[in-house]
Amino acid sequence: MKTNKISIWLIVSLVAFMLAIPASSGAKVYKLGLSLAITGPTSDAGNPYAKGVEDYFRYVNDNKLLGQDTIDCTIRDDKYETSITKRNFEEYLDMGIVFYLNYSTGSTLGLKRDFEEVKMPTIPASFHAGNLEDSNYIFLPIASYSAQAIGLAEYVVNNHEGKKPKVALFVHPSAFGRGPVDDVKKSVAAGLNMEIVEVVEHGQDLDNTAMLQRFKSKGVQYVISQTVQSPVAVMLNDASRLGLVAKTFGEKGKFTFLGCHYTGGNDLIALAGDAAENFYWTTSYIITSEPGVGRDAQLALAKRYGRDDKAANSHNYANGVMVAQVAAETIKRAKARGVEITKESLYEELLAMNGINAFYPVTTVGPVTFSKDDQQGVDTLQLYVVEDGNFKSEGTPFIPEYTGKIK
Amino acid sequence: MSANRWLATGNYFTTYQEEQRIFFTAIDRLLFAFFLAALFLWPFFVELDSKYMLVIDNILVAVIAVLGLNMVTGFAGLISVGHAAFVGVGAYTVACCARIIGDQHVLITHAWPLMILVSGFMGAIFGLVVGLPALRLKHLYLVMATLSFQMIFEWTIGFMDFFNQGQTIYVGRVVWFTGEVGRNEHYLFWYYALLTVVVICGFAVRNLLRTRYGRCLVAVRDNDRAADAMGMHPGFTKVYAFGLAGFLAGIAGSMHAYLYRGVGMESFTLHESIQYLAMTIVGGLGALTGSFFGPAAIKILDLQVESLAEWALNYLPSTMNLATALRPLSFGLVIVLFLMFEPRGIANWWRILRSYVKLWPFRY
Repeated sequence: MKTNKISIWLIVSLVAFMLAIPASSGAKVYKLGLSLAITGPTSDAGNPYAKGVEDYFRYVNDNKLLGQDTIDCTIRDDKYETSITKRNFEEYLDMGIVFYLNYSTGSTLGLKRDFEEVKMPTIPASFHAGNLEDSNYIFLPIASYSAQAIGLAEYVVNNHEGKKPKVALFVHPSAFGRGPVDDVKKSVAAGLNMEIVEVVEHGQDLDNTAMLQRFKSKGVQYVISQTVQSPVAVMLNDASRLGLVAKTFGEKGKFTFLGCHYTGGNDLIALAGDAAENFYWTTSYIITSEPGVGRDAQLALAKRYGRDDKAANSHNYANGVMVAQVAAETIKRAKARGVEITKESLYEELLAMNGINAFYPVTTVGPVTFSKDDQQGVDTLQLYVVEDGNFKSEGTPFIPEYTGKIK
Repeated sequence: MSANRWLATGNYFTTYQEEQRIFFTAIDRLLFAFFLAALFLWPFFVELDSKYMLVIDNILVAVIAVLGLNMVTGFAGLISVGHAAFVGVGAYTVACCARIIGDQHVLITHAWPLMILVSGFMGAIFGLVVGLPALRLKHLYLVMATLSFQMIFEWTIGFMDFFNQGQTIYVGRVVWFTGEVGRNEHYLFWYYALLTVVVICGFAVRNLLRTRYGRCLVAVRDNDRAADAMGMHPGFTKVYAFGLAGFLAGIAGSMHAYLYRGVGMESFTLHESIQYLAMTIVGGLGALTGSFFGPAAIKILDLQVESLAEWALNYLPSTMNLATALRPLSFGLVIVLFLMFEPRGIANWWRILRSYVKLWPFRY
């Protein structure tokens, strides 16, 4: 009888011990923060971006890609205002985040010192090269706007027929827009055989007729834009109305329009309609109008979480998914190394993401590589051109030659 | 004065001096002292997150700026829609110094009270210059003059390399008797600094309004020709109203620069000017207490609408982007409603409440 009692107590103790094990080695929750413009200026880009981030982290948690551990990413709207971004960031710090995702150029530059001070690995949606100056903790997801603009300029030079091509730069009146101007000028000074005829900082113009006529009188053939979609759409519509859009690349007496990441995508086609035909656009992201593994994965993710077609096909959705992929991969690798997940360990993990450790997300046209000297993730760019209302690949992914020459 | 120095159920002034008293009864003075003590002491008992401390600090910055705007628009009756530019002048005074001598220079980090004063005087100089058209212009025409100053300011900052084309110019951490003010105590430190400045500015404005110069402001607002006939100088009064507003705005701007440890253009745009004007209207034009209520009400409303917009995003179709419209809509609605139903602002509610308490339990 006594033996039975002891056995029962032993079994009860064993069960209690077994139950206690999962509790003591309980699943961990890694806190991340994202502050971006879901409403207000540029929310057309911020909205799908936020959905991309949210969906991918849900996918990571639902599919237990981090085992029992989960990611808890708080997403706050900052209305494109640095003061609100600062407030959100302070809130995230109080919450104990280990990784931060930011959005605009202005707020990234404004909070750069905070990131340094608290040693917070940060990936912004801004690809402004200036973000990396005097900064150790900001990592651009893809090639900078400067690299994109230089890449477009190189494409112009390499494919232009005749004398030196005349180019105008059409940029946003902010650091976001102005960023690449100096670098393109430096590339020209370093031997890129083209002439920059004019640099135009657009306002909120609803008509670009005068500007386009001025370009024409100065012999401009190519317009490289670094801004957002709507001013580009206004310019394309005006050029189309004036019969000045080139039907083929470099058509004489007409303009061939080219643009960096935030100028293009399906939103541009929706805004400019037929006027967007033959618009050349560069980014490091894959697009859903072309078949591929990345497209299938992106659309499947959007479908799984009930996103509409507009969000699912947005390159900014891919943009959001990709930064979430990088963050999740960093955590995964740090976990695999058996280190505690902290902002310091994730920073170290990001710096080790190169060589054989490069990360290949299917949402980009090249691998993500970071190191102490390389804080731009995907170095390769892909050129796309609008044909029959859809963006199509033009050539193969490339790395602009002059970005190395002007360093 | 009433027979009881602690309580008064009505006005019993027998001299002009009595009417100009800051506190009418001893209980007013005592309650104010308690309130002030509570404002200084609560951080010892309640620990707020940095986010909320930043919100409170922001409100205090706005209070200083609105004290200035209320001076020129509320008391002197000169509408200014370029107040954010004056605040910007103060902020960029600190930023320019940081850019020239380095943001870690002892003048920026140690002599910050001096920098704040210098910024105030710089704001005053700009205020005096912008106030000059007030000698010849009135009403809408004066509004246009202040608007043009706002535009010139934005253009200058946004396009000149020296001002980093409107992008952030960093300002170093300040040093106090206890050493460098670190990240953990940053917002609390600036809470005390701002609160001290608010109290000083509040008393200064209240005292100014008791003087000949303060009463001139009100007289010129009510009828400048009559004021002229009474021996006042309307032109001088209008210009110095702008100067004083510029001084307070400059102080607010420099404290904003130190609070955010950097200066960027987006905090000093026309939108911000309109927001300062809205704070003044909602708080109560021409009422000192309105300068405190207005910023608090608008900033808290802003926070609430932010939360509402985030919540609404889950239910409103993203294609219409209606959530974006919520903020300007609510902002505009509040101003219109106040103008229609309570043009004297929240300060009037405060006045009614005080009158009620004064007579309680008797009916008003």
